[in-house]
Amino acid sequence: MTTMYVLALRLGRWGIAGFGAIAFFVTLLQTVGFYKIAGTTESERQAFGRSMRVLAAQFSVIIAPPMRPDTVGGYVQFRAFGALAIMFAIWALASASGAVRGDEERGLVQAALGRGISRPRLVAARVAAFATGSVVAALAAGAAFLVGVASGGESVSAAAAVEAAIALGALAICCYSLTLFLAQLTSARSAIAFAGDILLTLFLINSLSRTFDFLVPWRWLSPFHYYELSSPLVPGGTLDVRATFILLAAAIAAAALAAQAFRLRDVGAALVKLPTWRRPPSYRMSRSSLWRVPIVRDLYDRRIGLLVWTAGVSALGAVFVVLTKSIVKPLLAIPALAPYFSAFVNGDVFTSFFAYIWFGFAQLLMAGFAIAQVARWATEDSDGRLELIVSNPISRVRVVLERAMVLTLEALVISSLSGVVVGIEAHAQSIELDRWRLAEAALLLVPFTLVFGTVGAVLASRIPRATVGLLGAFAIATYVLVQLGPIFKLPTWLVDASPFKLYGQPLSAGVDQTGLGVMLGIVVVGIGASALVMQRRDIGA
Amino acid sequence: MTVAAIQTARLSKNYGLGRGLFELDLHVQAQEMFGFVGPNGASKTTTIRCLMGLVRPTSGSAHVFGLDCVRDYVAVSQKVGHVPGDMAQFGSLRGSEVVAYFGARQGRADFQYARSIAERFNLDLSRRYREYSTGNKQKLGIVLAFMSRPPLLILDEPTSGLDPLNQQTFYTLLAEARQGGATIFLSSHVLAEVERTCDRVGIIRAGHLVRVFDLDEMQRIRLHHVELELGSDSDPPIDAIRAAAGVEDVKVNGRIITCTVSGPFEPLLDGLRGAKVIRLISREPTLEELFLEYYGEAPTAITTTR
Repeated sequence: MTTMYVLALRLGRWGIAGFGAIAFFVTLLQTVGFYKIAGTTESERQAFGRSMRVLAAQFSVIIAPPMRPDTVGGYVQFRAFGALAIMFAIWALASASGAVRGDEERGLVQAALGRGISRPRLVAARVAAFATGSVVAALAAGAAFLVGVASGGESVSAAAAVEAAIALGALAICCYSLTLFLAQLTSARSAIAFAGDILLTLFLINSLSRTFDFLVPWRWLSPFHYYELSSPLVPGGTLDVRATFILLAAAIAAAALAAQAFRLRDVGAALVKLPTWRRPPSYRMSRSSLWRVPIVRDLYDRRIGLLVWTAGVSALGAVFVVLTKSIVKPLLAIPALAPYFSAFVNGDVFTSFFAYIWFGFAQLLMAGFAIAQVARWATEDSDGRLELIVSNPISRVRVVLERAMVLTLEALVISSLSGVVVGIEAHAQSIELDRWRLAEAALLLVPFTLVFGTVGAVLASRIPRATVGLLGAFAIATYVLVQLGPIFKLPTWLVDASPFKLYGQPLSAGVDQTGLGVMLGIVVVGIGASALVMQRRDIGA
Repeated sequence: MTVAAIQTARLSKNYGLGRGLFELDLHVQAQEMFGFVGPNGASKTTTIRCLMGLVRPTSGSAHVFGLDCVRDYVAVSQKVGHVPGDMAQFGSLRGSEVVAYFGARQGRADFQYARSIAERFNLDLSRRYREYSTGNKQKLGIVLAFMSRPPLLILDEPTSGLDPLNQQTFYTLLAEARQGGATIFLSSHVLAEVERTCDRVGIIRAGHLVRVFDLDEMQRIRLHHVELELGSDSDPPIDAIRAAAGVEDVKVNGRIITCTVSGPFEPLLDGLRGAKVIRLISREPTLEELFLEYYGEAPTAITTTR
């Protein structure tokens, strides 16, 4: 058990180190950022708090509204620990599905079971290791808060920071155990998608319940609801012991169910098996002519993933349209906000609001999509597929170009179809969006995605094993750059170089031609560089 | 003068710390069946990757049918069918889809032939790749390499994971390819395998080509560890055994005799004539034992028999 625990910790060490570092720097940046932008007098901070509340309304679909954002604790609880909850949930999802199914495919689970370790002990060791790692990473966030507050010349209770870390760790452990259980039910192929869909549903039940009353009776199901009940950093706020206990109890229950499910299923198989029928063996090759057409065959190979991404992004786009309607309408009815809208919003309020929240979120989704595709390229390298591909009469440059073309077409399918869905839903909600600009905004997501794709292509050609981590760090860094650049008075050229800035606000302000040109330039240079690196590197060595 | 199927000149790939391939000079004629034998880690796979243009040599050159393996790697791959040492992963793709995918990439695949190979191996192409056993994955790799009837087959331990029956099927397939005019470069760590299929055998160890044998020479150096148990009703013919040609290291422990036999078994069997043999076990030496027997620990001399 101890050996397995240590091995599990070792297997997850990069995740612990990476998310610990992210938690530390995100929290530190937000804490230090508060002192830069909130002012020093009581009245300045009150005004800052009011503007934050208005701003927060735009993000209510993702993060709970802030409490006391005029204080450093309230601000960091909202900006840092709200975002960290999502990041830690994603970490838990990836880590648990990898522990259950990825390790099975790599033979690690068989090796462990072959050494006489029981399945429940294996599950317990993995949960214990992740719990240790997530608490360490969460404590790094707490430490960063204390460091940041000290840099502002103030002091806060260290107990509050520890309590915030405990709440975050409890959420992560709960998400991990849930994923561990859910991943037992399906095949290895669909484990992460299935568990991810359930976690996303639980997240949306909680976050959308802030807007849609009919979801309120169901939010007790969501671990994110219990996390939000704690606000230890907010002055007067506390760690909700009962809610945290529920998270930990749910984690233990889910881990016990995962252990039982693991005992009942075969290694490598799903607990819930779909009926199959016997059929005689076939020695024919696939008759589909799609395999014969370059690029099309790769799209066909990825058809399920493309379908899921397209449906997911389109559905979220439609949800954001509905949210825009339900959030903006009440705001427009508040006379006190009229000066704010007239001062800061150009043109139609609905359009500006929707452009900001949806296309801001869509950029994150498409960056995530690009990372997922680049991860596939890196995997092709490590699992020998690339070696087999280039053992056929195909040049390495063509491999790079085909990958870029496939990514372009995939991004085009997702962005255009989701754009159509958004347009239809907006019309149904009586929000009149400029069709041409909507098309431009949707299509501009293609070069945006390609920027990440080509940066990833260079990394995948050079250092495939570290590609996903580095590209993820690049995405986070460029996103944070846009968010915090003005606060920390970073050089304008640096902030402007971020893909999130280059994309601009095409729906409300039109396409930024310079930004588009720079993005296309990055894409061309990136493809050229990755082709060059691919041409010169060793494959399979 | 015909162009060599494979020609390397001082081919090296240095990974540092003494690991890699060093100054390999190899010449494989067209339509030859060449065995490339060495223990694990001897750089057999590195050699193959250099030939396929997957790895850039540190120095030296490699040519396939006169084409430079680095510069003309696309043209080289048009002439080569390759079974990699570790079969790639194709997740949820069906075997039939993998064949269609790579058949289209090769551009010259004979799908009827691919089907016939799959039938001979009883490889169900309708199943998903992740459902395949290790042996079935290897069979799929063989189908992919052979289906375009390439003039050169470069096979990296192709029988690993195959059961004896399927190994026989594979040897038959090799013989047919040979009859069809193909050149075969077969990497293996099993001496007996290359001995039964190849015309010449190159032995590599620690990145150095130790020696290239033809088949006769190979059989002369073949060494067997033999253990005999004789019946109690006759005296062991120790002197006759010691005097038998090729028999060495004779040790007697009661009625159990151990010795090594190089070359044919007839002299030993002649020496045993009249004795009652209860048990006879013959074991081939491992490659490491063979190297220790013949070359000591650090074989670097290169001798080529052509």
